Amino acid sequence: MKFVKRRANAESGIPTESMADIVFILLLFFMVTTTLRKVDVIVHFTLPKAKAIEKIENKRLIDYIWIGRSGRIQINDSIVKMNQIEPIIYRKRQELHNVIISLRIDVNTKMGEVTDVQQELRKADALRINYSANVKL
Amino acid sequence: MIRKRSITEANIPSSSMADIAFLLLLFFLVATVINVDTGIGLTLPRYVKNIKNVKVPKNRMAALLINASGEVLLDNQPISMFQIKNVLKKRIESKIDLPNDKKLIVSVKTDRKTKYNTYVQALDQIKQAYFETRDEYSNAHYGKIYKNLPLDEQKIVKSKIPIIISLAEPESVKK
Repeated sequence: MKFVKRRANAESGIPTESMADIVFILLLFFMVTTTLRKVDVIVHFTLPKAKAIEKIENKRLIDYIWIGRSGRIQINDSIVKMNQIEPIIYRKRQELHNVIISLRIDVNTKMGEVTDVQQELRKADALRINYSANVKL
Repeated sequence: MIRKRSITEANIPSSSMADIAFLLLLFFLVATVINVDTGIGLTLPRYVKNIKNVKVPKNRMAALLINASGEVLLDNQPISMFQIKNVLKKRIESKIDLPNDKKLIVSVKTDRKTKYNTYVQALDQIKQAYFETRDEYSNAHYGKIYKNLPLDEQKIVKSKIPIIISLAEPESVKK
């Protein structure tokens, strides 16, 4: 069997005038979807919902502590143990004396663990905290 | 049955491209939430080694106890989570004109097995009680809600209705 090559007679060419627009869209898409995040969150968590919520305007002041569903604690990029919290936070407080520690804690965490973390924070003298929560509508 | 098609020059209409790009831009502008951290702010008490017990007159205290299954006691009276706000509001209001050392102290105490969510809900109720009292007070005195007041007036309202929340440690922490 023979294959007959069939070619279209039409002039084939990619329209280049719209290329700029396409590039523009792509640029926009990536600009929008990129979140400027410093750390990867390893732990899984669901934040509680609350009504009496305040915004923290000054993002520079915030440092996060995550406590995940499995009870693991994350600061910066790594999972830490309870007794490691104090030195880490203390160092942070030395760099930035009015640091706000935002606690992003899973809804099902037991208060015992939360209190233990708070005790460590008190020892590190980082007293301004924020229980991170989403807006309840 | 194959009909021969006359082959026309293929081109993509490019005049509407700008519109499409513009629509996309609008869509993403509207849909993006710039991630702002929201939550309930608190200031922890300073760490001290030897805890001194300070006696506080009973009528100044609103003691909130939450047990492991999420039941709430307010001054030894069982109360549902959603009533906390209204009960506290009345007590805060009654102390607006008192001097600073006689304002209400809300103390929150949980069990070690209480769920974090329950605790946040309770805190939320307390904060709401305070915020609503502040709003009503500013509305009555300045005709605006607290948020819209100028800073110096906000300060006055703040000093009239300070938020004092005491976080009691769960029993087992004290040892």
